[in-house]
Amino acid sequence: MWAELRDLRDGVDLGTPPRDGSDVTLTIDGVSVTVPAGSSVMLAAARAGHAIPKLCASDTLEPFGSCRVCLVEVEGRKGYPASCTTLVEPGMAVRTESEKLAALRRGVMELYLSDFPAEDIPGGWSEFHETLQRLGVTSHPYGTGENHQASPVDQSNPYFLFDPAKCIVCSRCIRACEEIQGTFALTIDGRGFESKVAAGQDQPFFDSECVSCGACVQTCPTQALVEKSLFEGEYRHAQSIEA
Amino acid sequence: MPNPLKPERSVVTTCAYCGVGCGFKAETRAGRIVRMIPWKEGKANHGHSCIKGRFAYDYYNHPDRVRTPLIRRSIDEPWQEVDWDTALNHAAAEFRRIQSTYGTKSIGAVSSSRCTNEEIFLVQKLARAVFGNNNIDNCARICHSPTQFGLSATVGWGAASQHFDSILQADVIMVVGANPTEGHPVFGSLMKRRIRQGAKLIVIDPRRTETVKSAHCEATVHLPLRPGNNVAILNSLGHVIVRERLYNESFVRERCEWNEFELWMGLVGSDRYAPEVIGPVAGVAPEAIRAAARLYAGGPNSAIYYGLGVTEHSQGSTGVMCLGNLSLSCGMLGREGVGVNPLRGQGNVQGGSCLGSWPHVFSGYRFVTDPEVRGSFEQEWGVPLDAEPGLRLPNMFDAALTGHFRGMYIMGEDPVQSDPNRHHIVEAMRQMECVVLQDLFLNETSNYAHVFLPGSSSLEKEGTFTSAERRVNRVRKVVEPLAGYQDWEIVVRLMNTMGYPAQYAHAGEILDELARLSPAYKGLSFALLERIGSAQWPCDENAPEGTEVLHTKTFPRANGRGTFMLTEFVPTAERTNDRFPLLLTTGRILSQYNVGTQTRRTANSRWHPEDRLEINAADAQARGLRDGDWVTVTSRFGQTRLRAKLSTRVNPGIVYTTFHHATSKANAVTSDLSDWATNCPEYKVTAVEVARVDAAPMRAQAEAREDEVVEAVS
Amino acid sequence: MGAAVKPGPGQMGETVLDLQRLLTMANQIGDFFAPYPPERRAEGIRNHLRTYWDPRMRQDLLDYIASGGDGLVPQVLEGARLLVETEHDKKGYYGPPKA
Ligand code: SF4
Ligand code: SF4
Ligand code: FES
Repeated sequence: MWAELRDLRDGVDLGTPPRDGSDVTLTIDGVSVTVPAGSSVMLAAARAGHAIPKLCASDTLEPFGSCRVCLVEVEGRKGYPASCTTLVEPGMAVRTESEKLAALRRGVMELYLSDFPAEDIPGGWSEFHETLQRLGVTSHPYGTGENHQASPVDQSNPYFLFDPAKCIVCSRCIRACEEIQGTFALTIDGRGFESKVAAGQDQPFFDSECVSCGACVQTCPTQALVEKSLFEGEYRHAQSIEA
Repeated sequence: MPNPLKPERSVVTTCAYCGVGCGFKAETRAGRIVRMIPWKEGKANHGHSCIKGRFAYDYYNHPDRVRTPLIRRSIDEPWQEVDWDTALNHAAAEFRRIQSTYGTKSIGAVSSSRCTNEEIFLVQKLARAVFGNNNIDNCARICHSPTQFGLSATVGWGAASQHFDSILQADVIMVVGANPTEGHPVFGSLMKRRIRQGAKLIVIDPRRTETVKSAHCEATVHLPLRPGNNVAILNSLGHVIVRERLYNESFVRERCEWNEFELWMGLVGSDRYAPEVIGPVAGVAPEAIRAAARLYAGGPNSAIYYGLGVTEHSQGSTGVMCLGNLSLSCGMLGREGVGVNPLRGQGNVQGGSCLGSWPHVFSGYRFVTDPEVRGSFEQEWGVPLDAEPGLRLPNMFDAALTGHFRGMYIMGEDPVQSDPNRHHIVEAMRQMECVVLQDLFLNETSNYAHVFLPGSSSLEKEGTFTSAERRVNRVRKVVEPLAGYQDWEIVVRLMNTMGYPAQYAHAGEILDELARLSPAYKGLSFALLERIGSAQWPCDENAPEGTEVLHTKTFPRANGRGTFMLTEFVPTAERTNDRFPLLLTTGRILSQYNVGTQTRRTANSRWHPEDRLEINAADAQARGLRDGDWVTVTSRFGQTRLRAKLSTRVNPGIVYTTFHHATSKANAVTSDLSDWATNCPEYKVTAVEVARVDAAPMRAQAEAREDEVVEAVS
Repeated sequence: MGAAVKPGPGQMGETVLDLQRLLTMANQIGDFFAPYPPERRAEGIRNHLRTYWDPRMRQDLLDYIASGGDGLVPQVLEGARLLVETEHDKKGYYGPPKA
């Protein structure tokens, strides 16, 4: 409990919350690193200076394991476990980079891009954009299929917007509302392709129980949830009620 | 939706809206603040925030901000824009004229919990060293003065014993007269996190607040007492602890004054505080009192958090002492997860308390009557100082009515709106010959002021705030002061104009001076805060980076022991009767800040367009009221109009309102009763009657109101 | 409400606070210390008046007592008497009244 909040650092995202626990030593790409028991492989990698790409994870939230960008290889194990939900074990040997991993990660990002506003792929500065850049993904091979690009932007809250077209349904906002704020205003509504982020009983944000703490906006990796004050023109909301 | 524009610069600073003291990164673009990002390394918020700190910052740039000094000869004349020299010369000349006519003690100063520590310290210096008297007070007078008094008496220091994170080690959390999820949201979230992990919650509050029940968080015991019965209920908890021998004898023997404990046991152990006697009087089931006492005493770690629902009573100080007594008796002090912790309303209530804006103590809670202490200040300031306590804020107004008090310097306060018994205050303000107000906006008080000095917001200045967990946080200048000067610079200029040679190159030098003169702040400096971010006092050679938990080995009293006060229940003189059968109590909500001067000027008003009177359905029915009806609320002191809101949050016999909008004039009805020890007003109990207003005349009233509201926000 | 003594312009009332208000405050203090044994009770009241009251308020109270002291609870009279007798003891303190 203690370390979870107190060991957070500005400008550093370890991917999963820091833990208290006895020392566990493992290797990440051959580099030996010691972290408290209960830590994730993702956190150990970040500590070893080999931060793994991630989208649905943040060190302010419990791990969730839904985006599959953080896959790694563990010696002696089959498959490609998600590093955010895999706990460290003594003597574990982890590989964070390989051609196979790079291909898998690119595949995931291309899928996300196929349902993301094309004109906003260049010029962005969100975590999602940074991940695209890091993995060298700029486009996707898919044609125009079923997508969420026509969903209207929810502008009801005076301070922030929600644009479903940019949402990758990573659930970070929902978990922030539950775990950090404790209001439980957000849910994932529907299943599969239909699933989407909903406030209250699928209401506009302003009409829901949302208390505008900003935790969801703060954690959203894609800027689907974003402050109106960062815009000029159409989406900018004059925050002060001016004369 | 296009990509948003990236901010260019960011400055780490501290939110001024409440006593949690969240750290933020203020981001700017082209010289304008475009976003406030909660700072992950903020020790109170760990990257979290609430609507106020996160979004309600644009008031700083509001067109209503006064940007030029204003003066006038009399309050019936219009304001005249002047330059700084003219305004300051006028203020200084008037103050000196009043003092030479009516005596040294005929003027005084008031500072605010919105000010930085440095400003609060300087305003006390202005009163003591330049005015030459101890007529200095601050707005903590009307909220948390009983905390300072009651906790000093029992545990030695008038401050929270813990750091906020300590609650994550608590097994039982007792919240008394506070509603953290609305009033202190980021701390409220931390508390809920702990409750979801299994901690038990006891709530003592007349209202079924959001704290009592919300998603995945529910109180194990709620004592919905009738307002005004805190001391009775808390003594009754003590009764159960004493009679059922739930107290921690070894802790009391080792750490406390045993004789005083025995006296206390005699008082609360007597039959008149049995739950079966107190329960019916206070409107609470006796079994619930017993359950709360057993839960609290059982711990193993039990922590008390309390707010204005304890302090703003005629027995406010006694109520705080009760909390001190309870925690000492059960040994719930001196480690993580326990303690007694006031939740402070405004950003710097704790700083206001620490830094000598009281008529009886200097910074560091040391008495002006103590010759040694006074000597150290005289030496530093180079002038002889008054050896006697000055007037408290309410007494300044009282003395204005008898002609003994004629001039006042007010920084960042709006007493006409925020202080009780409005008619009395207005009358007192009219008697004064020179009122100098330093603030961001013209307000209710400026109607009675002669000089207006345009101040700076917390986004426009350097300094420190002390949060409710005793944490000294840095406030940094994000944008240039709109009217040209940081508030502390204006005070220095006023001191100079009055002939006192104060000089500081930057706010850090004021912190250095106050650190020299306040033992608990001894080790603090801008350099230290730059290095470690923030520090909780006491911060000195024994604790160079501050102290998280107080009282771990001894209590800061002469013999090092905690002690017990005899806390007899004395019912307030404010009683219900046939004419005034309902009890009015007051509170606050999430999106608005205090009297709302700032939040009302942001989009936060969308959440709280007006103050409403919550009334139980039974009481409403008896008066033929429906939800949304306009009603008059009448007390022995005055009347105001509000719209009714039928609510199950309050029991029959109790009505509740907030006081965020000037138009509500909630303080037109509150009484002139106050705490016996500190004169903290009794906001939490007023006997009233509520009646429906005829629709037709009300419509006109409503329109007038709307105009007023528009005026207030435009 | 306290606005009874209303001096004309430029004049000062006799007491610094409205007398009724002053007496109410004094009696509230008396009520608090009532449960203590007699000497401690008086000392508690003395310390409180000495440490928290403007000297003019104390003087007004003493003058009122000298003129009869009607309406004040007995322990306030005791505490105020001590105030006169122990004028030299000036340092304040928090906590239970000393014996
Ligand atoms: S709105 Fe943002 S945080 Fe929420 S699910 Fe979509 S991408 Fe994730
Ligand atoms: S108002 Fe209080 S809880 Fe909200 S951001 Fe500011 S300091 Fe934090
Ligand atoms: S970051 Fe691990 S699955 Fe998303």
